[in-house]
Amino acid sequence: MIPHAPILVIVLPLFGAFFTPVVGILARRYNLKNAVEIFAIAVMIAVFVMVASMAPTVWGGQFITYQLGGWSPPWGINLAVDGLAIQMALMIAGLSTLVIIYSAAYMKRDSGLSYFYALVLLVIAGMMGTVLTGDIFNFYVFLEIMSVGSYALVAFRRNSESIEAGLKYLFIGSLGTSLILLSIAMLYGIVGSLNIADLGAKLTLYGGAVPTGLVVSLALFVTGVMIKVAMVPFHVWLADAFTAAPTAISALLAGPAAVVGIYWVARLPYLPFGMPVGIILVSLGLLSMIIGVLMALTQRDFKRMLAYHVISQKGYMVLGIGLGTFGATLGAQGGLFHLLNHSTYKSMLFMCAGAVLFRTGSQKFDELGGLGKKMPITALTFLIGALAISGIPPLNGFASKYTIYLAGMQAGQPLITAIAVLVSALTFASFFKAFSSVFLGQEHERFKEIREVPKSMLFPMLAMAVLCIIIGLLPALGFNVAGPAQAAAENSAGYISHVIGGI
Amino acid sequence: MSLNYIIAMLLITLGLYCLLLKRNLIKMIIGLSVLSDGIHLFLISLGYRTGGIAAIVTGETMPGFAASAVDPIPQALVLTSIVINICILALALSFSIYAYRHYGTLNPSEIRRLKD
Repeated sequence: MIPHAPILVIVLPLFGAFFTPVVGILARRYNLKNAVEIFAIAVMIAVFVMVASMAPTVWGGQFITYQLGGWSPPWGINLAVDGLAIQMALMIAGLSTLVIIYSAAYMKRDSGLSYFYALVLLVIAGMMGTVLTGDIFNFYVFLEIMSVGSYALVAFRRNSESIEAGLKYLFIGSLGTSLILLSIAMLYGIVGSLNIADLGAKLTLYGGAVPTGLVVSLALFVTGVMIKVAMVPFHVWLADAFTAAPTAISALLAGPAAVVGIYWVARLPYLPFGMPVGIILVSLGLLSMIIGVLMALTQRDFKRMLAYHVISQKGYMVLGIGLGTFGATLGAQGGLFHLLNHSTYKSMLFMCAGAVLFRTGSQKFDELGGLGKKMPITALTFLIGALAISGIPPLNGFASKYTIYLAGMQAGQPLITAIAVLVSALTFASFFKAFSSVFLGQEHERFKEIREVPKSMLFPMLAMAVLCIIIGLLPALGFNVAGPAQAAAENSAGYISHVIGGI
Repeated sequence: MSLNYIIAMLLITLGLYCLLLKRNLIKMIIGLSVLSDGIHLFLISLGYRTGGIAAIVTGETMPGFAASAVDPIPQALVLTSIVINICILALALSFSIYAYRHYGTLNPSEIRRLKD
């Protein structure tokens, strides 16, 4: 492990964000091309190397805690890296790097790019902070950093659609974070601590008799997190935001940013609040799966269809984690594994949609068609992603969905498994329609001059496609990541003793 | 002391009402800021005690310090949260300016071109 790695992975993108405009000014003065892009990619590669350096230590069974300013918990803020946090941090660092490489070519025609990369790095710093921190107020602060950055990025092009989506996202998102703040305030008032481990330790003391205030606080927290994850009653912002944002940002929000919400969903059931969170997660997950896929079937807009599939697939993860609380040990593992797979292929699918939009200027199914011959590599990666999301073996989506099906049987709920299989079939139908209307069929006259997208856009797409195939062929690789994560999420006593003990 | 909590809850309820039911972007933004002010008042009231002293330790040990000092943590939290809310407020207002330029209205139910 590189010394001070846990704090550096947060601080580097944060400072990088504020240096990016300076780099932009210098690049303009000295006429350097692509300086901002190269700077942002360099920062992200450094972050990825540092996260990767922590991974072997954590998977080796150790638990990394880092005390900011040397203040020991519960007084100071500490960073805690366990198996769950390292999975999330790895995914954020890896996928965000690929998204930035993609946006280097994709965003070329826009102006104000140094601010674009500043905001992207800010969002990444916020995501890293939310998964690594061991302090619940600190979590709120990083969540807000991430959210404010993503509101601004969704509206980055400032045209009528993106402003509308940005406004909607901002109002719903800030309502969610306000609820989380209120919940943290109530928790502090009742329990008197902000350190997550200390909170957990003090909550166990209540045993069965939990004060009403705590139940209200938990309800507010769950609602806030569900708004951020976009589970079905709270999903309206997601489709608009993902449709109107620049596609690179849709990929960033669909892949890495989805991690943050699911991270908290995975932590929640094991904080001893004394309330049946599992049943809430299972029902919301099922609802989101079904409604998400049904909405996706009727869409005629490429990115909007993908956005509804994000809701549906997040339903799988929440369902899996919820099933985990009913004694189905495979549930949480499947949910976390599915998060890993989904973030990979959904980022890739958005990149394919972006590639089509980049060359044709359209994201409506009615206006597209016959692009398979003109853009063969995009078509191939889209096909891999489509098969993976539909759960077709031997791709990675199959491995994780199959685990969730098994978890449904393990929990004694074959009906849930049946619904999950059905939703998977509907997903396949929807992607089949999308593939045939974009890449197959009659070639349009005005697409005669279309060429494949630049190599720097193809590279991240191909990298993700290869990842999908490798994890599909060797699912053990994925389980090696998701297994420790699930073990860490369920072992809240270990988390508490490590942080409070300061080992 | 309980007056603080009552007013905080009133502010939160009013803010929520304004945010969810008003059909004007500026009023919704006001609702959002009232909501967060209510939460701030709630948070700051948690640490306050009547006749308390500031939680600052100067060199010599003061007798009964822990019994009379106010809790400094909520104050730090509220300061942080106020800064965050200013960012959101500024961003929301600038979005509304753009929305007014594009759509010529501040009514959120008329600002919809995405769902066609």
